[in-house]
Formats: sequence, C-alpha cells, structure tokens
Amino acid sequence: MATSSDERPSLPAQPGRRGLWLGILAYRWAALGWMVFLAIGAADEFRRPGVAWLVLGATGVWTLWLSVTPGWDRPLTRWLDLGGCIGLLLISGVVVREGYTVGDHPFFATAYPVCAALTWGAARGVGPGLAAGFALSVALTLSRPINGVSLADATGAQIEGVGNGVVYYIAAGGAMGLISRTLGRASDELRRSQEEVLRERERVARLSEHATMGRQIHDSVLQALAWVNKRGHELGAETSVPGREVLRLADMAAQQERELRALIQSEPEEPPKERASLRVALDADARAVGEVPVTVTALGPIWLPEHEIDEVTAAVRQALENVVQHARATHAVVFAEEGEQGLVVTVRDDGVGFVYEEDGLRSRGKFGLLQSMKGRIEDLGGRMTVRSAPGAGTEVEFLIPEQEPASDLAADEGRP
Amino acid sequence: MSDAGPDGRTGDEPLPEEPIRVMVVDDHPVWRDGIRNDLETSGVATVVAEASDGGEAIERARESMPEVILMDLQLPTVPGVEAIRAIVEESPHVKVVVLSASGEEVDVLEAVKVGATGYLLKGSTAAEIVNAVQRVRDGEPVFTPSLAGMVLSEFRRVAAPGPGVPGLTPRENEVLKLVAKGYTYREIAGKLFISVKTVQNHVQNILTKLQLRKRYELMRYAIQRGLDKAPE
Repeated sequence: MATSSDERPSLPAQPGRRGLWLGILAYRWAALGWMVFLAIGAADEFRRPGVAWLVLGATGVWTLWLSVTPGWDRPLTRWLDLGGCIGLLLISGVVVREGYTVGDHPFFATAYPVCAALTWGAARGVGPGLAAGFALSVALTLSRPINGVSLADATGAQIEGVGNGVVYYIAAGGAMGLISRTLGRASDELRRSQEEVLRERERVARLSEHATMGRQIHDSVLQALAWVNKRGHELGAETSVPGREVLRLADMAAQQERELRALIQSEPEEPPKERASLRVALDADARAVGEVPVTVTALGPIWLPEHEIDEVTAAVRQALENVVQHARATHAVVFAEEGEQGLVVTVRDDGVGFVYEEDGLRSRGKFGLLQSMKGRIEDLGGRMTVRSAPGAGTEVEFLIPEQEPASDLAADEGRP
Repeated sequence: MSDAGPDGRTGDEPLPEEPIRVMVVDDHPVWRDGIRNDLETSGVATVVAEASDGGEAIERARESMPEVILMDLQLPTVPGVEAIRAIVEESPHVKVVVLSASGEEVDVLEAVKVGATGYLLKGSTAAEIVNAVQRVRDGEPVFTPSLAGMVLSEFRRVAAPGPGVPGLTPRENEVLKLVAKGYTYREIAGKLFISVKTVQNHVQNILTKLQLRKRYELMRYAIQRGLDKAPE
C-alpha cells in the first residue's frame, strides 16, 4: 500500500471520511443559500453588483461541481477550494460599499469560507485544518482594509467582530481535524483486524496444504526406508556386496533427504497472484542435479512473474548442467538476491574453471549451452557475465533489471 | 568451496600434537559412532564425551571439558539451542559446531545467535567434519555458504533492531555475500585485496553483531513483558 500521507486518491476513500465530506457538502449548500438570500436582501448596498452576482454564480458552480466530482478527495480540489474561499473573503470587501463590513450588516461571504477549513481538517487532520483556518483568518482580516476600513482605527467592537471570525475559522478546522483523526484511527484498526483475520485464514489453509504434502512425503520416505532396511539386510547376508547396489541404496536415501529438506525449507509465505517463489523453483533445480551437491540461497522471499521464473530457472539449470559436465566440481552454490540494479542470480562452482572467451568457444563449437543461457537472460532484458579462470572455479552471474510493474499496487505486493 | 565452509587454513602450519578434545551430542547412536569414527581415524581429534540429550550435554561439557562440541539441534529433554546457550554461558572458550540434519534455518540461526561458531549439514564428508573441528578450535568461525545466506537474510530483514545495535558495514556485507556464494576465505582475501586474517576478523565481527542483536531482542522482550522488574 502507498504510504505517502497526501497522495491517496488511488485508495478507496474511507467510509468515515466520505461521511464527513457529505456533511460538509450539505453545509456548503446551506451556506450558499444563505448567501444568495442575504444578497437579494442587500442588493442595493452593492458597490459592484455585477461582480457580486458573478461571484455568487461562481460559488454556485463550484459547489455543484464538488457535489458531482469523483475527484473530491484530491489534494488539487482542496487547494482550489481554499484559494476560492480566500478569494471570496477578499472580494467581499470590494463588492459591498465602502465601510459596509464594519456595521451590523450581514457579511457578503457569510459562512461559506469555513467549508475550506472543514474540508482540510476532514481530509488531513488537525494541523492542516488549523492551517486552513488560519489562512482564512488572514484573508478575513485583510478584507477590512480592502473595504476601506483601516485596522489601525478600528474600534474594540470591530476588532472583536474580526476576532470572532478568526476563532470560528480556526476552531472549525481544528475540531474537524480531531474528528477525522479519531474516525481514521477507528477505521484503520478495523481494517487491521480484518486483515489479521484474512491472514489467519490463509495461514490455516496453507498449513493444511503443508500437512497434506507432508503426509505424501512421509509416505515416500517410509517406503524408501523400508526398502533400504530390507535390501540392506539382504546385502549384509551376502559374502561380497557389489558397490553398485550400495550406491543405489545411498542414492535412494539422498533423494528422500532432499525431498524432506525441501518440505522444511519451503517459503513461509504464499506468493501474490500470478507470481511464484524463485527460491522454491531454484531448489527444484538444485534437487534435479544429483551428481554435485548444490546449496541454494535466496535473500528474502523473491516473487516473480511465472514466465520470468521459468526463464531464470531454465538458465540456472543449464548452468548447473555445465557444472556437472565440465567443471569437475565438488560443490556448487546458487545465490539469488534483489538489489538496486535488479535481480542477481549467481551460479558458482569450485571446479577446474576455464578461459571464458566467447569467440574462441564459438569457433570450437563449445558455446551452445552458454549461448542458450545468455539468450534466455537477454530476452528478459538482462545480461549474463561469466567469471572464470583455470583452477579458480566458475561464476556465472545473471542480472535481470527490475521489470516495469503493471501497477504500483502489484509492485508493492510483489516486492515487499 | 563446500558446504563445510571456506577453508581459511594456509596449510603450512604444523598439526597440533595433542588431538583436539571433542564432545559429540546426538540422540542417534549411529551418528555418534559414525562421527567418533570419522574424527578418531583422522588422528586429529579424540572424542572425550558423548551425550544423547541436551541436559546430558550440559553436564558432560562441565565434566569432560571438551575444546569443541559437535551438536545436533533436535534433542530430547533440553533443546539444542538451549543447551548451547547454557554451555557457552558456563564455558565461553568452548566452540560449538551445529551438526544438523534438518537444515531448519530458524533453529540454526538461533543456535549461532546464542553462541555456536559453526554449522555443518550431517551430509558433510568426514574430511569436512574434521576440517571444521580444526578450524573452530583455532578460533575461526565455520561459516558455510548456506549459513552466510541465512545471516545475510537476517540482517536484511531487520536492518537495525534498535538504537546502538549495529548493522553490517558495506565491507562486512561484501565479505558475507562472497561466503554465501561459496568463496573460501583465501579467495575472498584475493578478490578484495585484504589478508585472510582480515577476512576472518570480518566474519568474527559479523557473528558478534548477530549475537548482540539477539541480546538486544531478549532485553526488549523482557522490558515489554515487565520481566526486567525484580519480583515483589
């Protein structure tokens, strides 16, 4: 999930916040109605009636747009709203006659601008709510000199009037912020516990699948043990035992050992949809190589799209075949990690090594397998590097840059 | 390179005259006998004690004072990890090598966190086991590629569990990654233009950091549960 605090339009709006927004919207319409009603009553007090009706019209259109737009929760919408409300306050000083704002007269903008403070509080919490309230307060204070009323000469009652407005705006923003924060926490907790329940269900399902797999493997282990037991005793009774027979028993035990180990080491978490665990696939590669012991290490769960897994593991398998056929190695290691550059998979052996020189190998007809590995990785947009020297083993490195994620969400889930 | 770990020995040092005193802990007599046989035929080590469970291991370690303990983790009575913790606490000079059949990562990592200095899979050859015993006795951690991978994962998973709990330096990270890829200490030294001794020091420091992290985790757990307060 995206964690940046503001850019959340992609998230489904929380029901609590949507409710607050609808409440504020109802308040907007009431405030707009009151504005129109008062404007009709005080039409003869307008210094610039044209501007006044234009402003009322614009406020009406804005409110209507806010009522229908799906982008109500966007930061841009909030900024435009705050700008509009500040403009409304400032223009109020211009549309009515000079000095009109100081008397007992109703204020042209009425209570509409407070909606901006409420909206910021609801969407972003206490701090932004207070800040929006403060911005409106500054505009309210400035509307007096614009109306030709000098603040220096203002009476106590006049200052009190402005002060009331200031307190009203700031308190509204802050209080709405508090409500929103409380609602947000409650809904976060609800979501967390829902997710917890879901995870728990998945875990139970996974465990039962694991248990089924376990029973199958236990069965095959028991079969193998029974055979080793029986055949071992038979061989023990003979005077001379062919080495091949003993080797067969050892191979059988080794196969079962690998199966059991794979069961124990399988990835603890289930991969997201349409992705698979690279490590599980690499383990299968390693098990397929009976002749040389292979250690597989993957740092963290690495989940990739299945076609990518197929290509990478095919290349790794070819690299391991190379080790078996040519390296005369005693051990091999497959190491995978996701770094800044992308996925890096290394296949290293402690064998005899060779001089890696593509043209030379090609001319001697020995580049086939390497060419095939190289092709697979390059098709994924990656590159293959071979480091080797006679007597120093061989390291084949596949680097696959991170694929463009289909969406942010998929990337978040796929590469935690 | 092998899963028995990188060979850091230079090869020209004389073998010690006295065989290394080893204790073998395993609940399967077959394994105990097999390992005793591997060690004693090599002439490098002698098995001074055997134990078949965790509790017995703690007692025998006290009586027979081995230099190296080869230990399975799946043990009756006291689990292997607990036994290692107790033994290392009592005699910090004893080197413990985990000899595990399961490859169960969590257990092995835990064992290393509480003081084991090596890890071998039971499938290791006799030569690998003997080599590991010699090396841990000489104070060198037997860091197999798979164990290095586990430790790297651990440091990746939680970069810094708390203030003052160190993560890996870039160089330590580099060294550990090369160990995980199966390079021997000598090969790593050559690659990074440093001495084998320096590589060993890095690996030792990594282990120390891992153990520090464990202590920090335990402390935090205790504080969370109020276990740090003295009982009334």
